Amino acid sequence: MIYSTVIQIIPMSEHDLIVRRIRDGTVIDHLKAGKGIQVLNALGINGSDGNVITLALNVPSAKISKKDIIKVENKYLKDDDTNKLALISPKATVNIIKDFKLVEKRLVSLPNKVERIFRCSNPDCISNSNEDIESIMDVVDKTGLVLRCKYCTRILNVSELKYY
Amino acid sequence: MNDFFQTDIISIRDFNKEKLETVFSATDKIIQMNPNERRELARGKTLGYLFFEPSTRTRLSFQAAMASLGGTSLGIADASSSSTKKGESLADTVHIMSLYSDVLVLRHPLDGSSRFAAEISSKPLINGGSGTEEHPTQAIQDLFTIIREKKKIDGLKIGVAGDLKYGRTVYSLLYALSNYNVDVHLISPESLKIRSDSTYDIKKRLKYKESSSLEEHIDEFDVLYVTRIQKERFPDEEEYLKVKGSYTIGLDLVKKMKDDAIILHPLPRVDEISTDVDETKQAKYFKQAQYGKDTRAALLALILNENSF
Ligand SMILES: [Zn+2]
Repeated sequence: MIYSTVIQIIPMSEHDLIVRRIRDGTVIDHLKAGKGIQVLNALGINGSDGNVITLALNVPSAKISKKDIIKVENKYLKDDDTNKLALISPKATVNIIKDFKLVEKRLVSLPNKVERIFRCSNPDCISNSNEDIESIMDVVDKTGLVLRCKYCTRILNVSELKYY
Repeated sequence: MNDFFQTDIISIRDFNKEKLETVFSATDKIIQMNPNERRELARGKTLGYLFFEPSTRTRLSFQAAMASLGGTSLGIADASSSSTKKGESLADTVHIMSLYSDVLVLRHPLDGSSRFAAEISSKPLINGGSGTEEHPTQAIQDLFTIIREKKKIDGLKIGVAGDLKYGRTVYSLLYALSNYNVDVHLISPESLKIRSDSTYDIKKRLKYKESSSLEEHIDEFDVLYVTRIQKERFPDEEEYLKVKGSYTIGLDLVKKMKDDAIILHPLPRVDEISTDVDETKQAKYFKQAQYGKDTRAALLALILNENSF
């Protein structure tokens, strides 16, 4: 299958990017610099649906000095998806654009459940076996970022976890 | 309708006091029931067991329980050599077994295996021991033994001794006990202390003290729960022998115990309790094994029968 995906990696000023407005879709802004690629993975954005995706890394920003930005055209991210960002880059904002207009601005908040973002750190957990299984973790402490693996029930600290 | 009808038994975490007590009173009924009446509870039903690590004791108690309810059982006692060697996934093995039976029991070395298997199985699934921490039916059996022999759980002083680090039954037991108001003492050699990464919830729900001396409070315990100390957990033989010696329950220690104290052990034992203790009135571990069959029969009966019995 041939995907008509375009992933542009454009190191340029914020101003330049704004010029390239999208008509419809989602802009994930204020991502902590260096987290953009992780976010694409975590949200399962791989371009397989053919929509244009723009990823910008290390964009100079007044608010957080440097940031990453992701623009996904023709796709409105679900709340569940955007909330995953809270684990990766808690200061990120999500802008929903319709017909060139910003119709919704969301601050991310931690979900109650985290699916398929991290691997369980317990090597003897069934979610790390050869079985056809994806990791699911419950958030047990939102401020301390403490998760619990749904399968092995082990308590996991976000800062020590590895992404898929 | 009872709350257990057609449900999975995966973790002792899913049990609150009320649910535990539902199982205890069902077990009381099972014990008192006329055998002919009891054999109606699973008549025509099949228990399918899948044991990916050997545990003859747990498997037999499930089979005996199912037989006492008039049901039959079939399964694989050594599934790790028969199915996975051929490359079959756990998911497929469970799927097939759920086609042949009305309720499943799974024993598996990986943590969380039962939770996963229950998602696959079209029939209710019981965790017969998974990974290093979960053995819910053992914990139910242990608590039932305490309540049956001591008539209560609240207010008891309970010593838990032996290998608390690798002993799968210990975590489930402590979690189950955390539903009650008990005074728990954990007694183990330094190298076999309970793992701090596994006590996140237990710590919040249960007050316990840790020490390495078995003798220190032995005269105060109402219950002494002894677990096996395995040789393979020690780097050298000398260390093992030293530890083993100081955690063996002999007649001399039992004499220091309260007259109405009880000694429990999940079995099989090796040398943790000397055989001459078996004749003392404190020794309740064989009773405990018998209750293992009765509590499992109660769980099976609750899972298979919509109406209470
Ligand atoms: Zn896990």
